[in-house]
Amino acid sequence: MTAIAHTSIAGAAKNRVQLPSSGPGDKARQTSVSFDIPDLDQHLNGGTWTNALHEVRCSLARDFACAAGFALGLAAQFGKQDARRIFWVIDPAASIDSGLPFPDGLSEYGIDPKAMVFVRPITLQDALWSADQAAKCSDLSAVIFQVKGNPKPFDMTATRRLMLRARESGVLVCVLRQSGAEEASAAATRWHVEIMPSGPDPDFEHGPGQTRHVQTLERNRHGRTGQWTLSWNPENRAFEDGTAKTQTTHRVRRIHASAHRPDSPVEVGQVVDFECAS
Amino acid sequence: MKWGKSWILSARPENPPIAVTDTEKNAVRIVAHEAHAARFGLFNGQSLSDARALVPDLECHARDRTAERKLLGSLAAWCERYTPLVALDGEDSLFMDVTGCTHLFGGEASFIADIETRLTAQGFTVRTCLADTAGAAWAMARHGTGRIIARDQHAQAISGLPLAALRLDAVLVNSLGRVGFKTIGCIAGLPRAPLAARFGTHLLDRLDQASGRQDEIISPLMPVAELASEKRFADPIVHEDDIKRCIGLLAGNIIALLERRDLGVRTCEVKLFRVDGEVLSLSVHAANPLRDANRIAALFHERLARLHTDLDAGFGFDILRLNILQADPFNGGQHDLVERKDAGDSYSALIDRLGARLGTDRVLQFSFADSHIPERRFTLVPVSGRDGKTDPDQVTLPAPARTPTRPLILLERPEPIDAVAQVPDSPPSRFRWRKVLYEIARSEGPERIACEWWRDGRASLSRDYFRVEDTQGYRFWLFRYGLYDRETTRPDWYMHGLFS
Repeated sequence: MTAIAHTSIAGAAKNRVQLPSSGPGDKARQTSVSFDIPDLDQHLNGGTWTNALHEVRCSLARDFACAAGFALGLAAQFGKQDARRIFWVIDPAASIDSGLPFPDGLSEYGIDPKAMVFVRPITLQDALWSADQAAKCSDLSAVIFQVKGNPKPFDMTATRRLMLRARESGVLVCVLRQSGAEEASAAATRWHVEIMPSGPDPDFEHGPGQTRHVQTLERNRHGRTGQWTLSWNPENRAFEDGTAKTQTTHRVRRIHASAHRPDSPVEVGQVVDFECAS
Repeated sequence: MKWGKSWILSARPENPPIAVTDTEKNAVRIVAHEAHAARFGLFNGQSLSDARALVPDLECHARDRTAERKLLGSLAAWCERYTPLVALDGEDSLFMDVTGCTHLFGGEASFIADIETRLTAQGFTVRTCLADTAGAAWAMARHGTGRIIARDQHAQAISGLPLAALRLDAVLVNSLGRVGFKTIGCIAGLPRAPLAARFGTHLLDRLDQASGRQDEIISPLMPVAELASEKRFADPIVHEDDIKRCIGLLAGNIIALLERRDLGVRTCEVKLFRVDGEVLSLSVHAANPLRDANRIAALFHERLARLHTDLDAGFGFDILRLNILQADPFNGGQHDLVERKDAGDSYSALIDRLGARLGTDRVLQFSFADSHIPERRFTLVPVSGRDGKTDPDQVTLPAPARTPTRPLILLERPEPIDAVAQVPDSPPSRFRWRKVLYEIARSEGPERIACEWWRDGRASLSRDYFRVEDTQGYRFWLFRYGLYDRETTRPDWYMHGLFS
């Protein structure tokens, strides 16, 4: 786990480049990291801005998990690499039916659940304030602001403020918009995530395999939009081209067979110890 | 009461008197009445029917003991302006340990006068007494006339008071009276052994407590703060900016004391004493020990910002007190000269700021438990309650996997679904969740998670979890609750999580 994390940090640092500032009044510079997917990087003019605001949205409530997966992927791959904490601010309206990240699921997704901090305010105003405060803090890796629909207080001004905060602090801020429509915002990119049938599972052909999503780049500071099929690689903590044939040599830990069935042959030499009764 | 606390002050001669009634000795009787009601012939203990015969339009209220206790509690909180050691005593009195406090008010006489003036202004009828022992003070306040008993004079002062002044029950006082003991002085000089043999040691205990031969410990309502700093105003302050500035000053005062003790603040509160007797208490909690006046003050700014509209200044606050409730050894004293990190920008400052504004129970992180049941595997606990420990839990988390076996999102509670599935243990072929029908294309399972019989009992059901993918590609984590034919004949299906 730690070894993998180190290699990914080294890999990300290699790709990190300084871009010239985009405006005359810009004090802080935008840093960007490439996706390592040539077509996508070309659209993004070299890579994703790391110290900026991004938006990930899904149309339906049941798409929330894949949108959350993409947002967490962005946070892990493009978040501040010398910090590890991920802040997750939840709009009270969104917390009603969406569920919460599951620690075991996060761990399998390549994200350390111990690094997650959740903020659950009572009002949207407080949620906005919390996201704003978190975006200012340079000790965080990324801030995910989960919001439901298109609430009025979260407008152009609010997103612009988050964008500026992110640029100053170097934290990746990601708006996770659940069942929301397209809306003008100051975000560097806006992604629309849709579900796609999973890839083949080399170990079990009838089961769900490697997860894939269709990501539509709806808004881009560099102008061009497009659509890609991406798949998240939790071992390298990086996105991959989902259409490419991925050969995994990695063995998945299988689910145990249930009782009252012919059992699989027991490994020889397995030691089972029971706890002492006293 | 509908007139507020000070209704006694504005005399209501044109109106009928007010009385409070309660059931005593099988009759509804008056237990308290307005001062001027005596003119109508009313007295405490009178039955309500007699009182009604005298004053037909008497205004009666049933006694509300809960409200009385609450009132006494708020009064005790207000009395903390005099001393931190305030204890409730019975239904209608307070003990205050004022050792070392009276000189702050200009001596004992003006101390007592201050209490009486302020409480009378709030509409209370007060009887106060200051003495060396709690027992003597109680006796004099209830049964005597003296306000201040001089040092070492209490034994003589209370000797003329009746025996009931020793906080004895009525039966004991009666039986003593039958023998001829009417006053405290009667028994003070008697041989102790026969007295104890006949009337019990309780009598001697009370006598010793009143005369100071035995210590009496009062238990204060609030824990005494480790450190406190306060500011009194001749002219009450109202504006939020003034309050903020004052909190900053108080925090500045306390830093030197903290440095001397090598401590940092973890929990502190500001008490705002309103002139009309309300006490507002704001407390904040820091994730790590703090020793920076600006940061302490900033936490209270957030806390005040949260109150904002609820902050009812009324006629203003005349005392502001900063109490340090919890302080821990301070270890973050060394600043890195090379790293130009702003202290106010760091992670713990953020946690404190969010906790102060939103409440510490709104800033959460995972805490793990040793359980196989998914929803019992973790809980969300406040970050600031962990006392700086980041990874206290020993838990084995699964390694990253391309085909996950656990969902990324877990629903807060499993939601029932209508599923069509073959018995005994096939995955569902289609199901309806939140009014949408899903056709299943691929599935894997079951993964059986048995109930925790040591918690749920032996009759509870096992769960068979399935990872399923529908024709569009949505991936879900479902379970069948109960094993077909072995635990239940009609197992229910539940949706528990969503894969990314």
